[in-house]
Amino acid sequence: MKRPFAVVTDSTADLPDEWRERYGIEVVPLKVLFGSETFRDRVDMTDAQFFERLAASSKLPTTSAPSPGEFAEVYARLAKDYESCVSIHIGSQLSATAEAARVGAQSVDGFKVEVIDSETVTMPMAFLCRAAAESPTLEEAVANVKARIPNCRVLALLDTLRYLEMGGRLSRAQAVIGTMLDLKPILIVKDREIKPIDRVRTKARAVSRMVEFFKSEGPVEQVGVVHAQSAEEAEGIASRLREGLGGQEITMGQIGCVLGTHVGPKAVGIVYIKK
Amino acid sequence: MARTARVSTVDGTLFKQALLGSVGWLAANHEEVNRLNVFPVPDGDTGTNMLLTLQSAVEDIKESQATEVSKIARLASHGSLMGARGNSGVILSQIFRGFARAVEGKSSLNPKELAAAFEEAANAAYRAVNRPTEGTILTVAREAGRAATAAASQPDATPPAVIAAAANGAKAAVQKTPSQLQILRDAGVVDAGGFGLQLILEGMLRSIEEVDAPAPVMTAPKVKAAQVALDLPEEGWGYCTEFLIEGENLDVEKIRSQIEAMGNSVLVVGEPELVKVHVHTDEPTKVIALAGGFGKLQRLSVGDMSTQHRRILEQESGDATARPLRDNGVGIVAVVAGPGLVEIFKALGADAIVEGGQTLNPSTQDMLRAVDGVPYDTVVLLPNNANVILAAKQVAGLTAKQVRLVETHSIPQGVAALVAFNPDRSAEENAEAMTAEAARVQTIEVTHAVRDTRSNGLRVKKGDVIGLINEKLEFAGDDYSEVVNKALGKLGPDAYELVTVYRGEGASDEELARLESSIRDSYPALEVEVQQGGQQHYPFILSVE
Repeated sequence: MKRPFAVVTDSTADLPDEWRERYGIEVVPLKVLFGSETFRDRVDMTDAQFFERLAASSKLPTTSAPSPGEFAEVYARLAKDYESCVSIHIGSQLSATAEAARVGAQSVDGFKVEVIDSETVTMPMAFLCRAAAESPTLEEAVANVKARIPNCRVLALLDTLRYLEMGGRLSRAQAVIGTMLDLKPILIVKDREIKPIDRVRTKARAVSRMVEFFKSEGPVEQVGVVHAQSAEEAEGIASRLREGLGGQEITMGQIGCVLGTHVGPKAVGIVYIKK
Repeated sequence: MARTARVSTVDGTLFKQALLGSVGWLAANHEEVNRLNVFPVPDGDTGTNMLLTLQSAVEDIKESQATEVSKIARLASHGSLMGARGNSGVILSQIFRGFARAVEGKSSLNPKELAAAFEEAANAAYRAVNRPTEGTILTVAREAGRAATAAASQPDATPPAVIAAAANGAKAAVQKTPSQLQILRDAGVVDAGGFGLQLILEGMLRSIEEVDAPAPVMTAPKVKAAQVALDLPEEGWGYCTEFLIEGENLDVEKIRSQIEAMGNSVLVVGEPELVKVHVHTDEPTKVIALAGGFGKLQRLSVGDMSTQHRRILEQESGDATARPLRDNGVGIVAVVAGPGLVEIFKALGADAIVEGGQTLNPSTQDMLRAVDGVPYDTVVLLPNNANVILAAKQVAGLTAKQVRLVETHSIPQGVAALVAFNPDRSAEENAEAMTAEAARVQTIEVTHAVRDTRSNGLRVKKGDVIGLINEKLEFAGDDYSEVVNKALGKLGPDAYELVTVYRGEGASDEELARLESSIRDSYPALEVEVQQGGQQHYPFILSVE
């Protein structure tokens, strides 16, 4: 007897290992390319190895989506045990992954795949996966995920804008926010856009601004703190969030290789779904 | 000699030849595609993604001896699907898929069938995309298909004529993409993915037309070899340099490693008798001299890439006047002197700079002209000097524009205010936030006394180094480092994180280095950032925050 539906996501969800095991979520890796060497995110390379290599590399790596064929293989494998699946992916404004998943799904006959463009990145995707996994049917899973997408937010404090600029995920006009002086930009990912919300000269004040902004956002359904090789800072942010959250769980997460390519080391973020 | 005249149908062998030719042509030009890349994600890798996808498409074809066009098309479809990268790559894989479906079961294609397959390829691509956007590779694929069909309906149509029509149709469609997509228009480029498809079709055509040529067809003789004699640009993109080396026992690896040291986008392929070289270099004559040592050069072509890219580069150069207008309708005018400081203020968003400062106070008229000159009805004015504030206050009464004066007393205050400017907020909110930020910053100015004086209980001799904290004379001495450290000590460094040193034109490299290391030694918890301010009279201005 096949189970009703599986949950699939990609490596940019920064899905905590524990959730992956608990809910049996399938994670398809994106890729990082250092020159001609290709690494699957968190499969061929750990986060720590990646940031070590990034620091030593004179040229920035590039990233690429999984191919439709790779998605097709995953779906074909899941089709043996499941009736269907919901496949939740990084926003299509940032990556071709969701498009590749949709195309890959077309080549697997008799297996229903609901591909969802999350319009966001990193742990809000993991929150969406959890919402899907806790739903009784595929239809409810899709509805639960889609209802939350407009409320997903990522606040990111980058140590430098260099990586985002070089990776092309920030328009040149927006890049003006960080030239010449060493500014700490705070960005928000919402409504399919990455927008600067503030720029601050020092890290400590930037963290305070980010926390203040989060507190002004009102109640949240789920919240997490993510970081790229900056665990201590992330813990500090989490403890400042705890004051106003009344015991609500804060999920901690690490930024993987693909997202790390674009945000650079020492990036920290507050991620949440607004109520 | 060309086989064009003999070609009446496209079989598997010919289609294979065409696809392999398209890889070479795209490989030689993919960097150009990368540079066009702005939609949908401006990451500059559309060309690379399409090339990798196409290479994956032909992977299995290389080994195949199939003579049926359907088999070759199926291999291409499968290979491209497995290797598709990026948005354009995925769409390309769907183009191959549509083509393969259209030719299923056929061993060869007449011109009409070939054109129908092109059309179906475009249709499949449209179907595969969630939200088809015109002005992209999709439009180009469709127009190529239409042009192919029109050509196939001619009485004496041949496959090369159909492919030529498709390539021309693609080219025309590519040229029109800026009129269909705002983002392309803004960037002054054509669509990258569409251009990539045009190259693929052109590559197919070239290889079919030159089917009897001895070498893999990879040459792109855009410019005649005579242009080698052209003057080299003093700065620029360099030259796309391509040629074949004919010789005996050529060592491809060795040639590649030597060429690689002389430029980028290096492509060196071939056999011991014939090697194809493609490189982007600033020194084409050196490359040619080196390659001439290996064997006889053929089909030499050197193209100046700086001309074609100058326009794009100009757009990237961050000139304040080229910036798109802000939605909040608020402009910024700042009073600044010193080339480095001017650059810093411009980069932070100042729309106009009024030259002036401590000793060269600008007039109300100077500021009025600047305020009236910016394309905004509301203007934030930053005087950045206590002596300029009064003149700045007059500006509001003399212009029809709304002027928000943020009373910054120093360069550090001006920078802090400007950093806090947010283009999503109103002028009033900005003025409030900018004033608050300016007040948080402490300013230390270091200069020399111009005469003997007594001030603030200090006796100062002409020529002494003096340090002012927030415009008040606090310390005098004979050494920059000593005065700065005393000033920092007085401010209480524990309350601050960052010291920004703006170096003036009067400070030497050595004095700067000494100051920097002395601050680090005395106050290891403070971060120190150095900027070239270029201001007169003040060897150092420091911002403490």
